[in-house]
Amino acid sequence: MSEAAVLNAVLYLPVAGMVLLALVPAGRDALVRRIALWTMLLQFALAAWLYLRFDPAVAGLQFETRIPWIESWGVYYHVGLDGMNVLLVLLTAFLGPLVAAGAFSAITKDVKLFYAMVFFIQFAMLGTFVAQDLFLFYVFWETMLIPMFLIIGIWGGERRIYATLKFVLYTAAGSILMLAAVIYLVYSLHATTGIASFAFADLYRTQLPLGVQTWLLAAFALSFAIKVPMFPLHTWLPDAHVEAPTAGSVILAGVLLKMGTYGFLKLGFPLFPDATREFAPLVMTLAVVSIVYGACLALVQTDIKKIIAYSSISHLGYVMLGLASLDLLGVQGAIVQMVSHGLTSAGLFLMVGMIYERCHTRELAAYGGLAKLLPVYSVFFMILTLASVGLPTTSGFTGEFLVLLGAFNAAWPLYQQGDGYPLAVAVAAVSGVVLGALYMLWFAQRFLFGVAKVPHGPVPDLNLREKSILAAIAVGIFWLGLFPNEPMRKTELAAKQYRELVAATRAPVQAAVSLRPVAPQPDPLPARGAMGPAPTEATR
Amino acid sequence: MNWAEVVAAMLPEHLLLAGICVLILVEVLMPKPRGALAIALAAVIAATAAAASLGFGGYEAAPFAGQFSVSPTRLLAKAVVLGLAIPVLLLSRDDFDDSRFHLLLLSSLYGTLLLLSADSFLTLFLGLELMSLPVYALVLLAFRRDDSAEAALKYLVLGGAATATFLMGVALLFGATGSLALPAFVEALAARDTLSTAAVVLIVVAFFLKAAVVPFHAWAPDAYEGASVPVTAYMATIIKAGVLLAVARLFGAADIPRGMVELLAALPLASMVWGNLAAIRQTSFRRMIAYSSIAHAGYLYFAFLGAGEGRLQAIVFYLLVYGLMNLAAFAALPRGRADATGDAAADDLSSLKGLFQRAPWAALVLAAAMLSLAGIPPLPGFVAKFLIFRNVIEAGYTAYAVIGLVASYLGIYFYLRVIQYAFMSEAAPAPALTGRALAASAALVCAVPALLIAVFPGWVIGRF
Repeated sequence: MSEAAVLNAVLYLPVAGMVLLALVPAGRDALVRRIALWTMLLQFALAAWLYLRFDPAVAGLQFETRIPWIESWGVYYHVGLDGMNVLLVLLTAFLGPLVAAGAFSAITKDVKLFYAMVFFIQFAMLGTFVAQDLFLFYVFWETMLIPMFLIIGIWGGERRIYATLKFVLYTAAGSILMLAAVIYLVYSLHATTGIASFAFADLYRTQLPLGVQTWLLAAFALSFAIKVPMFPLHTWLPDAHVEAPTAGSVILAGVLLKMGTYGFLKLGFPLFPDATREFAPLVMTLAVVSIVYGACLALVQTDIKKIIAYSSISHLGYVMLGLASLDLLGVQGAIVQMVSHGLTSAGLFLMVGMIYERCHTRELAAYGGLAKLLPVYSVFFMILTLASVGLPTTSGFTGEFLVLLGAFNAAWPLYQQGDGYPLAVAVAAVSGVVLGALYMLWFAQRFLFGVAKVPHGPVPDLNLREKSILAAIAVGIFWLGLFPNEPMRKTELAAKQYRELVAATRAPVQAAVSLRPVAPQPDPLPARGAMGPAPTEATR
Repeated sequence: MNWAEVVAAMLPEHLLLAGICVLILVEVLMPKPRGALAIALAAVIAATAAAASLGFGGYEAAPFAGQFSVSPTRLLAKAVVLGLAIPVLLLSRDDFDDSRFHLLLLSSLYGTLLLLSADSFLTLFLGLELMSLPVYALVLLAFRRDDSAEAALKYLVLGGAATATFLMGVALLFGATGSLALPAFVEALAARDTLSTAAVVLIVVAFFLKAAVVPFHAWAPDAYEGASVPVTAYMATIIKAGVLLAVARLFGAADIPRGMVELLAALPLASMVWGNLAAIRQTSFRRMIAYSSIAHAGYLYFAFLGAGEGRLQAIVFYLLVYGLMNLAAFAALPRGRADATGDAAADDLSSLKGLFQRAPWAALVLAAAMLSLAGIPPLPGFVAKFLIFRNVIEAGYTAYAVIGLVASYLGIYFYLRVIQYAFMSEAAPAPALTGRALAASAALVCAVPALLIAVFPGWVIGRF
């Protein structure tokens, strides 16, 4: 019980932070910054404690809280940690203080509102990760739009209004159809089993014909794929990233994009296993297209923020490939890759922000030879570049290697049975690694080496605050690269559970079942019971 | 007739009547200026009446059998309507230099209460007219004399058309069933012969007109823009609540036959789509709210696609949440000088530019209200919308629900635009802010219950 309280404390600390900020009188910006940083640090400390206490040998939820929220619908306030979200919660809490500290000098307008919004989005993101009830998940999932809308729209660049509206309208388009699917799914569960519940664990048992599964998966997948983002739904991302303030980009790339892949991992695929297996080749194909296409686009960008934005599309393609491979190592690799990308992209966006604050341009051509001018900056930049490329000993290697291993593991038996397509896809994915090395190293070469030039120079090298932020990220990168066993063990049982869920057959055997689930006879619930009266012919 | 029952069952109505008498006396006897006395009196009366409705929570009685009765759900609906009237009254500020506004508003409220307790079409008609007639005058009370006259006239003519349609429907219904009791409507609904169908359709159309459902919506934007802020707020929330609750009384838990379902799905869907699309182009805040209310009328009518018991629950909850957030938006809106030009300037959406810099809390309340109206969680508007669409999907109308959800998506943009103006634009030369204290109290009266609903939606839904 008391341990579950710690998870709730992690979740609600940002809310407490918002209340605290509301009490700060206007004009005390330094105090606001201090409150934000210390709240975030406390949150990270608690999250780290949760991570260390997390028992890898326990299947299922730990630190669980479950209390009725909307009783008549069967909605529970149900949160907990399992192998799927424990690393992501840690990542989110880890990036919190870095985002807060990173914005100390960059944000000078409406500081209080800014940190309130950072708290708000931190709350929504953590809530999405720990929610174990579909209603609660959806509430947190949609809530995220509000602070991000304001963060990009208020503190963004010149085209911020366009970018933020594009972001919100894109993501809301996906989630509105997901809402219909959520309602239909819960209703189907009730109609077939008499259970009125939004709990993931119950929904994993819903029996649905393949046709219905396909439609529902399409609705969920649309919402998640926009968030990831997967080709061809990625066009909001470069605009949002380029216009967002550094903190917004860091949150977006570091955590928010993982919502999409986490959604597939936790909900999209396990809820509709038959449809997932049917469409896994399509998902793998789109994942590889994302990998290669993102990398190619990153190759030709002239804006350094855009290079990193497109590299995100490419890197999240690996995550999707790992999830769709349905192989144990591939799934674990996908989880590690999510965290790894969270660290490297957050670090790279922070570094872009640092140079932008000094030189006020993001044109790559304006820079050169920073290794001579800003040696400390360049060292950190090189570390992040290599991690992004996937050099062994860094986190990027662990993630990408496992994903590719998983993809080949899954493709090889099929190849021997005469289906060479998955193998071709896996081979194509490997080419993404080469392309990744190409664009990142070429970027680093033009940026750090060659003729030394810097606009509005000479500029000072990193200060202590910036060094501490980047050092923290570097520690994370090497930790995941050198000692992947510990985090991998914590995800193992969850990855196994995911595989079992996706391997299960949940479409009823008879093909004669109509699209509309059959109402149970008699209805086990009272007329004004949890889900309202069971449908009868008359009401249709 | 049992006099004790007449006193007890009609207590909220009696309180309003007493309040009206007191206000008349104040108007005649007290010298001007009277400050906020009339506002305070009227608000206290509405609050007392709401408390009385809630206090008699479990009461069931029929003091005038076959004409007027109360039941727990009706008393709860009355409490919701009366509770929403409090912020409307607080919004009236110094718009009106005498108590005409408050007198007319309380009279209209009296009609709404009557409507909610009606057992026959006679009482229903009485309530409907008593609710509408004072509002025609209220629209005229605004500062913008020319516009207001046009708006009031339009509203009057279309209101008259609705009345005529309604009466024609009732006459046909009487011909078909030989009864003026409300259950005759359900009887006619099931009968499906030409006469009954004509009666049902005419009555439904009359209520479409009153609730401003496409294609009977054209009066709303003009009336909303021409009226003053509190009157617009009243029309958008309480009149809509009265009309929808009356329709809910008519349909009850009855099954809706084919054909009628299509009518009840098609026009509300058209309302959602058109309301949300047309709102995008508006430059006046009140016109935008008018189109928003047209779309919301669509969602509310959608609730009738759901099965029996869930309908009333969904409608009352939706009306409560929608009313609270709409009124919060009006309370947070900067108000210009109390004359025609000041009012017009404040009504222009661009006057919201930079609102966060000038009045941060007002901007935050406005943003919350807009997001709630757009149905974005964690704001209570999401739960309300979820409730309605859940009922529709459970009743088997998945396709309609999906179209409805897509239509609601269309609305997100114009709500966000308000937030964009308030938070993301450079400050515009703004009208001076006046009447902040009353507006702040009105916002508080709306925001606190809305926050409670957002955090404990289950508790509130469980009441209905």
